[in-house]
Amino acid sequence: MQLMSWTDFFIIFICCAITMLACRVIPLFVLKGRNLPEGLEKALGFIPPAAFAALVANDLLDPAMFDAGIWPAAAPLVAAVVVGLVALKTKSLLWSAVAGVAAYALLTLI
Amino acid sequence: MLGYVAIGIPCGILGDSIGLSALQAFLLSALFYSGAGQFMIPNMWLAGGPIASIIASVSLVNTRQMLYSAAFAPACRGVKKRLSFLFAATVTDESYGVNVQKFSEGEWSVDRATMVNLFSQSSWTISNVVGVLIGSAIGIPLAIAAFAMTSIFICLLVTQKWTPENALAALVAIVGVFVCKMLGWSGPAILIGAVLGVCAALAFSWAKGRG
Repeated sequence: MQLMSWTDFFIIFICCAITMLACRVIPLFVLKGRNLPEGLEKALGFIPPAAFAALVANDLLDPAMFDAGIWPAAAPLVAAVVVGLVALKTKSLLWSAVAGVAAYALLTLI
Repeated sequence: MLGYVAIGIPCGILGDSIGLSALQAFLLSALFYSGAGQFMIPNMWLAGGPIASIIASVSLVNTRQMLYSAAFAPACRGVKKRLSFLFAATVTDESYGVNVQKFSEGEWSVDRATMVNLFSQSSWTISNVVGVLIGSAIGIPLAIAAFAMTSIFICLLVTQKWTPENALAALVAIVGVFVCKMLGWSGPAILIGAVLGVCAALAFSWAKGRG
């Protein structure tokens, strides 16, 4: 893996910080209490489930994942199910991360 | 408040694993200040995503802040511009929840809400810096650290409101990521998958509205 250089860091940091600040501040000053357009509000609501699903899928799924046998690819999937259950039960990011790391470490040691 | 510390320390450790220094973690936490975003940057970097795709995906996820910003506009009516700006610039998912509840109970003001925001931001920033220092001191295996990130995203995913539209958005996003990877577009897979998911859900809710 390549470590992130200061140049790469600065590009990512500045761009993300600017879009973030714009999203946080502009609606408050521009709308002055009026609602966002309904279509936009709907689209914004769909972004979190779509984005988090895409991130999870990117980490867990790969077309070549079963090439090395079933278990190396299935272990993270099983750990992911454990995390899902813990997350539903506790709604806690911290417990999910703890459960995920524990399950993943156990399953990959087997 | 404890939540910020508990998640900020692992976030700093992950930042350290892709080579971020304590100063970089400080800048990100203090000025960008986004939990999901700060987990996404190392995650997508490890996945080998191009910089443009990382920026676009992180920004896309952060557009939800527009909803919060719009929601607080009535409370900021008649408040000094500088205070409104500081307040708006420091809203997050968690402090949004706290402040919305306080405002709805009444007897709550923008300057007190801003104090809540700044306190959250400070605990987040300090924990991230501490995390980087811990990470560089003990060296955690990358596979384990990466799965901690995956776990955080799983938690954020399953705690969404499960309406049919949201489920469709998630499903299409998953399929979209997989298809992109099959085509060899692993760099922008997350961005393309997420956008496809949002489009599918919009099309579905539009068709339902007409049906």
